[in-house]
Amino acid sequence: MDSLIQGFIKSVDLIFHLDPVLFGIIFLSLKVSGLALLIATTLGLPLGAVLGLKHFPGRDLAISVMNTLMGLPPVVVGLFVYLLLSRKGPLGFLGLLYSPTAMIVAQTILAAPIVTALCHSAIVNVDPIIRQAARTLGATSGQETLAVLREARYGILSAVIAAFGRVMAEVGAILIVGGNIAGYTRVMTTTIALETDKGNFELALALGIILLSISFIINAALHSVQQRGAAVPA
Amino acid sequence: MKRTVVLVLLLTLVGTAAIAETRIRMASTTSTQNSGLFDYLLPIFEKKTGIKIDVVAVGTGASIEIGKRGDADVVFVHAKEQELAAVQEGFFVNRHDVMYNDFVVIGPPADPAKIKGIKSAADALKTIAASGSSFVSRGDKSGTNTKELSLWKKAGIEPAGQKWYLEAGQGMEKTQRIADEKRAYTLTDRGTWLATKDKDKLDLIIVLEGDPVLFNQYGVMAVNPEKHKHVKYKEAMEFVNWIISKEGQDAVAAFKDKNGNALFIPNAI
Amino acid sequence: MKLVIDHIRKAYDGRTVLKDCSYAFGGSGVAVLMGPNGCGKSTLLRICSLLERPDGGELHFKDNGLPLALDMQLRRRMTLVLPRTGVFKTSVFDNAAYGLKIRGFEKKLIAAKVNEVLSFVGLLHKVKQNARTLSSGETQRVGIARALAIDPEILFLDEPTASVDEENTGIIESLIGKMKRDGRTMVIMTTHDREQAERLADRLLVLEHGVLRETLR
Repeated sequence: MDSLIQGFIKSVDLIFHLDPVLFGIIFLSLKVSGLALLIATTLGLPLGAVLGLKHFPGRDLAISVMNTLMGLPPVVVGLFVYLLLSRKGPLGFLGLLYSPTAMIVAQTILAAPIVTALCHSAIVNVDPIIRQAARTLGATSGQETLAVLREARYGILSAVIAAFGRVMAEVGAILIVGGNIAGYTRVMTTTIALETDKGNFELALALGIILLSISFIINAALHSVQQRGAAVPA
Repeated sequence: MKRTVVLVLLLTLVGTAAIAETRIRMASTTSTQNSGLFDYLLPIFEKKTGIKIDVVAVGTGASIEIGKRGDADVVFVHAKEQELAAVQEGFFVNRHDVMYNDFVVIGPPADPAKIKGIKSAADALKTIAASGSSFVSRGDKSGTNTKELSLWKKAGIEPAGQKWYLEAGQGMEKTQRIADEKRAYTLTDRGTWLATKDKDKLDLIIVLEGDPVLFNQYGVMAVNPEKHKHVKYKEAMEFVNWIISKEGQDAVAAFKDKNGNALFIPNAI
Repeated sequence: MKLVIDHIRKAYDGRTVLKDCSYAFGGSGVAVLMGPNGCGKSTLLRICSLLERPDGGELHFKDNGLPLALDMQLRRRMTLVLPRTGVFKTSVFDNAAYGLKIRGFEKKLIAAKVNEVLSFVGLLHKVKQNARTLSSGETQRVGIARALAIDPEILFLDEPTASVDEENTGIIESLIGKMKRDGRTMVIMTTHDREQAERLADRLLVLEHGVLRETLR
């Protein structure tokens, strides 16, 4: 118990003294997850819109697949990306394993189905009359889609925030494909795993506190956006 | 008649036990213990001499300390400088080289930094640094890591924080695999290398070996009976003499790990 | 701009909604289309405003005698206000400005026009309010403002006072009266309220069993 308290005190010290190693790890986490979210949203939002607004054969199947992919276990994604990117794998010539790029790839795969499914849900919940109204005012089909997306903006933002929270907390996939190399592929979650294993609780606790704080902020933001979206009657 | 038989049996048992119950204590290191060498060697020695050896496995420094204090009869470690110093101080006698294992530098077959042919390990590291080729370090303060850092120091280079220097912070096998993926160089012990290179299908080769600085020299020495009257000096010397004899050296050479690799090279002679 | 429809036919799922609709709408005034609920009035309005294609028959739009192609450009010269309006989840200003924004008008012009139309419908004081928080009557008025902002040559109104309270019904009817007097916009509307039709119409039409015919008061 005593060493725990000691560790806690030292960890707060690390935070307040802006320990460069600590903050390097935090920025790397934000960078990796942030980029993954950016790519996932760029892919997922249009995909969610197409699935929600266009009718095509096989649409129902596509929607089922998308919803199933939301439940992908992160370590399985990590394993899959590992096999894909390792030197002996099909994309081995790229030499991407054990790099931040590999981590971004894995987290994008995890985030994309979440963004797609939640955006799709938000878009489908927009009253079809909105699209019609835009049309009556002379909107092109692209402008119609934009009107719907604008109407679903709170739901879309919620989707992005939720997916971000998920990948920030993830450790399995990025541990496998990143290799947890110091200053290069070591992020908050993987550092906590490593340092706890070694019995170095100060750094692990400091990161744990920060990660919890970030997690709270993300959830508060999500809650606030959802409130704003619900405050106006649909 | 029955009572006599039992009595004779009992006496024989006690007598044999009394004779067989010659035990001495040897201080050594955990890595030597973990290699499985003692599980192989000591029964051979016991069979030949009837002497049973109890191994106390701790860190190198602690082993020598135990010997200095007289809590062991013989010491078997791999820290030649410290051993010789302790002999100078009069704590030990009859120190001999026994065997060595070694570290090797491994790297991609293409050898981008052109290390092959370089004899000095420190020079090789200097060349790697200059070429900017990646190098993966254990980064975990292990024995291998300590050796690696001493080589950088010798080469006059500070690798920490440089872009090409990757610190895994994890075990030797994982470190090798990172080197494999990143087409990088790394320092490893021959035992791990032999045990894992085929298993992990590593596309790496030994680019440098044989520099004496990479040798891990093991030595044996008996605790000085003049310092500690109670030590079992005679039995300790039986072990020392055996292990440096042809028979003992052959046994060391014959020892193979669970993958069939010879981990130690005898060099007493 | 003048509109003439010729033997328009439309069916949904095998059920014929419009059998034979022909009429020359002219280019001004208020035409009111009556008929029981679900008889196809909305369908006819959607077809006339080029939001839907008929199964048979033709639409002729003429500008100073010259026939106009039934393209996007023409579609943007008219608009339809839906019975449920469908205001966007944003401010009254942004709703009114929408049609102008998608046509690429510049900010100053948009602000001026929005001012004008919101004054016209009497909702300038609620310009910043979220359109979804308005009453159903005010929502209809926003819909009308939104439509007028683009200066349509034909304004189609589908049941503009169907679910609206008395006060707002009065306001909306007076708006339609004003448009009649201004003479810039032709209004084609539907209603199932006979008295309202008689109050507002220059021309009165009835849709019965899918057939359109003009009727006298």
